[in-house]
Formats: sequence, structure tokens, C-alpha cells
Amino acid sequence: MNADRLIKLELARLNMHLPEKRISLKEALSSAKPQVRTREGGVHSFKRRELELLAELLPEADWEKLQLPIFIALEPKLGRGAARVSGEAEARVAGRLLGKEATGELRIYRPEVALLRRKLSTTTQYLFVW
Amino acid sequence: MATALGVSPNRMEVMKLKKRLGLAQRGHDLLKEKMDALVIEFLEVFRKIQDFRTKALKQLSTAHRALTNCFAVMGTLETTQAARETKRELQIEISTRYLMGISIPAVEFGGAQRNALTRGYSLHTTSSVLDEAAMEFERALGLLVELAEAEAVALAIIRELEKAKRRVNALEYILIPKLKEALKFILMRLDEMERENFTRLKRIKAILEERR
Repeated sequence: MNADRLIKLELARLNMHLPEKRISLKEALSSAKPQVRTREGGVHSFKRRELELLAELLPEADWEKLQLPIFIALEPKLGRGAARVSGEAEARVAGRLLGKEATGELRIYRPEVALLRRKLSTTTQYLFVW
Repeated sequence: MATALGVSPNRMEVMKLKKRLGLAQRGHDLLKEKMDALVIEFLEVFRKIQDFRTKALKQLSTAHRALTNCFAVMGTLETTQAARETKRELQIEISTRYLMGISIPAVEFGGAQRNALTRGYSLHTTSSVLDEAAMEFERALGLLVELAEAEAVALAIIRELEKAKRRVNALEYILIPKLKEALKFILMRLDEMERENFTRLKRIKAILEERR
């Protein structure tokens, strides 16, 4: 296999851990086993205590809007170490956890990514954008 | 260099090489981002491991002290007998979660703590010091489960980090420099061919003028 094909394969593999379909916080909270199916066929489970934390941070009316897992988008064009959280409810939750104002999109940096991942290790996932 | 890469010096090849270089650069940047994210994850897990290990060691020391106390009060034989009668089943739910393509265990553990009635040994023949020792060991067990989960995650991250590092290095130190060098060679060769052509044309023009 030549180098270009290997790189293309590697790039295609980068986002294979993402879910085929995201579920809302409301759906996750009402499910006995809150989980999503990944693109590579595996199962990604959410920890219930994280779901409860998210439920505390958002009013009940917005539980339907929050899609899980929350994507932390890593994009080389944002600069090394910078990331983006998109989606209104998602950005609001992340902003509240980090003590930042967010409207629609939240730009975060490496220490904040670490903090967010520490608090929401199963309900957030990295998304690679190019 | 150009021939080693299987390229011939022409404009088409320049376009192809630029495309390949762009792809390699993009792959390199993204893999570097992945490595950074893996390092963040590893440091986080490492912090957890240190924390759980300290807590577990402290708790185990307390538990062993309680057990020694139990041996002294109840006697070794009675304590061992009570331990044999104790129920050993624990409710642990192990599922998977995905972290950048790595499948890692996610352990949901409700805790090992039970009350004296549900442990299984006889309350008539045992002392309250046995309850205390059992309680301390149950607490320690909870911490050990969390420590085991964190260590499994750390191991998986390290393996993936190693792979990503190898790929980043291959791109950074082998493929990208090779492509850049080939591109430079072709551009230089094309410039040289243009200069040769120019000189040839000038020479032809001079010859033609001489003939006139």
C-alpha cells in the first residue's frame, strides 16, 4: 500500500469512534442503558452521573436539544490546541462547566479541553475536522 | 531524488506532488492534534491513577489494621471461618467507551459496601470488629476497581500514542521532506530546462541572423 493510501486510510479512521446517530439527553436519561452505536460497530456507553450533571446544568425544556455525545472539534486551521464546541445547548453546557459565556459556538483551548474531558469523559468526544 | 520517487520533471508531476504534499501535511497536522488530545487524556488518567493509588493504599492499610484487630479479638480461626462464609458476588457492569478509536473499558460500580446482614457470615458467632474490618475492605475494593479501570485506560492510551507518534514521525521526517525535496528538484529542473530553451532559442536566432 502506498503512503498516500495509508494517509487517506488514517484520516478516514480518525472519526470512526463517532456515533452513527447521536441521542438527546432526554432519551439518554430515560434509557436503562444509555449508549450509542459507533461507526465502526462498537457501543459507546454514557456514565449516568455525567448525564445527571448535564441535567442539572440545563433546564428540562432543553434536554431534547442537547445531543450526546457533545463533540469537541479539533481543527488544524483553528491553531494547535484550540477546539470548538458547536450547537446551542452543547455550547451552553460546556460554557457553564468552564465558566464561559457561549452563544451557538464555544471556542476553547487545551487546558479547558482537559477540564471539560475530566468532567464529561463519556458524554464528550473528539471530532477531527479538516 | 526525483527518479527515486518515480517522478519525471514536468508540470503535471508538480501538480501531483503538490497534491500529495498537501495530503501529507494535512495528515500530519491531524495526527499531531490526535497526539495532543491523547496526551491530554493520558495526563488526566495519570492524575486519576495517582489519586486512586494513594487512596487505595491508605484504605488498604486501614483495612489491614482493622483485620489485625479482628484477629486479636475474635481469633484467627474464627475470622478465617467467617471470611469463608462471606458472599463473594459483586455487581460490576463493564461496558466499552470509545476514545479516538481506542476501545476502553467503562466500569459502572455501585460500590462493594454491604451491611452486616447481607455479608453472609453468622452474626451470633462474630464480633462487631469483624464488621468494621469487612467494611474497610469493601471500601478498599471500590477504590481498587476504580484504579484498575484507570490503569487499563492508561495502557490503551499509551499504545495508541505510540502508534500515532510513529506515524507523525514517518510523515514529519520521511515522507514530507522527501516530497518537498522532489518538488524542489522538479521546479529547479523545469527552471533549468526553461533557461536551456531560452539559450537555445537565442543561439538559433543568432545563427539565423548570421545566415541572413
